[in-house]
Amino acid sequence: MRHSLFLKIGPATFRIGSAWRQPLDHLKTLYADYPAADGGITDFTVRLEPSAFLRRWVRPSIFITGDHGLADAAPMSLDHGLLAAEMGMNLQMALGWRRHLLLHASSVEKDGRALVMTGESGSGKSTLAAQLGERGWRLMGDEFALLDLLTGELLPFPRLVSLKNGAIGVLAAEAPSARLGPLLTGTAKGDICHLVPRADAIVRMGERARPSMLLFPRFGHEAAVRPVGQGEVFMRLTQASTNYVALGEPGFAALTRFVQAVPSHALDFRSGEEAIDMVERLWAMRE
Amino acid sequence: MTVSLYYRQDGPDALVACALEEMLLLYHRPSGQTHMVISPVPEILGELTAGPLAAGEIVDRLAQRYELGARDQAVGAVEAHLAEMTALGLVRAA
Repeated sequence: MRHSLFLKIGPATFRIGSAWRQPLDHLKTLYADYPAADGGITDFTVRLEPSAFLRRWVRPSIFITGDHGLADAAPMSLDHGLLAAEMGMNLQMALGWRRHLLLHASSVEKDGRALVMTGESGSGKSTLAAQLGERGWRLMGDEFALLDLLTGELLPFPRLVSLKNGAIGVLAAEAPSARLGPLLTGTAKGDICHLVPRADAIVRMGERARPSMLLFPRFGHEAAVRPVGQGEVFMRLTQASTNYVALGEPGFAALTRFVQAVPSHALDFRSGEEAIDMVERLWAMRE
Repeated sequence: MTVSLYYRQDGPDALVACALEEMLLLYHRPSGQTHMVISPVPEILGELTAGPLAAGEIVDRLAQRYELGARDQAVGAVEAHLAEMTALGLVRAA
């Protein structure tokens, strides 16, 4: 392709090819502090192609594809090229990663121990992880948690944090503007702005942590904490994993070990401040 | 005369079990499927480790450890479970 960029995020390497320069310029700026990928063999290729021949020039429209793709993915505007590249990387991980059990979850670390948060889009797991990442925790990832199949440790995947709508203002008040990407308005999920994790999250992106607590956050509800039974946790995590079935018995062994070892709570909250206070108290009481 | 149907496990190493509180997870190696089961399925599978058994024999063995009530009803219930377990591939007709 005309333009390309290599990125390394946690254990995964990507080659991103694009018919246009603009999405890669944004990526280069936002991933400037990440370790350079050597440009050799990468785990995945992402391609941002024109959705039709003329769409490279006339009302440019991006079709996201790569090693793994969705045939019916909706084309995106070139103005959302950065988002398209990020979605393309997520797509490769979700559909193609096999080296670890992949959970759709955010995670943060403190003292070598990881707090994992999973939930549907809008649950607040990504915003909460980003806020904790600004307040003394190391952000390990806002989207995917990678569980080692043998050791049960969690691997960081600290890509850019995808902030949506109200979360943008919340993090803009906490993080320096130099770490915020361009505001992308009118996407399928509303306004989106990408946040570069703090420097420690990037420097330590090869450093694993032992999972020590699992939370199911739920934004917009009266503050409450409830324990979640192991059967329900297992079921919800199989739903939150894109490769549990593909991994077979090693995935079963890794997930059952995780569920048996990690205490789990449902966490309802109405604001980030409230959630952070509840998380810190739960964390202090965990053993 | 009625003929009792015998059932056996789907191979000696077909299932990997993991208890999660009140629930038992079963990973079925031949299919790669995970099943979540509760009592009395684990107990029925446990009796079948000794070899093929009919529903009545399973009930007689379980009755030594559990209060099962009227035998006819218990046999009917175990037969229904065995039919479901057969459909899932967890046991086979011997």
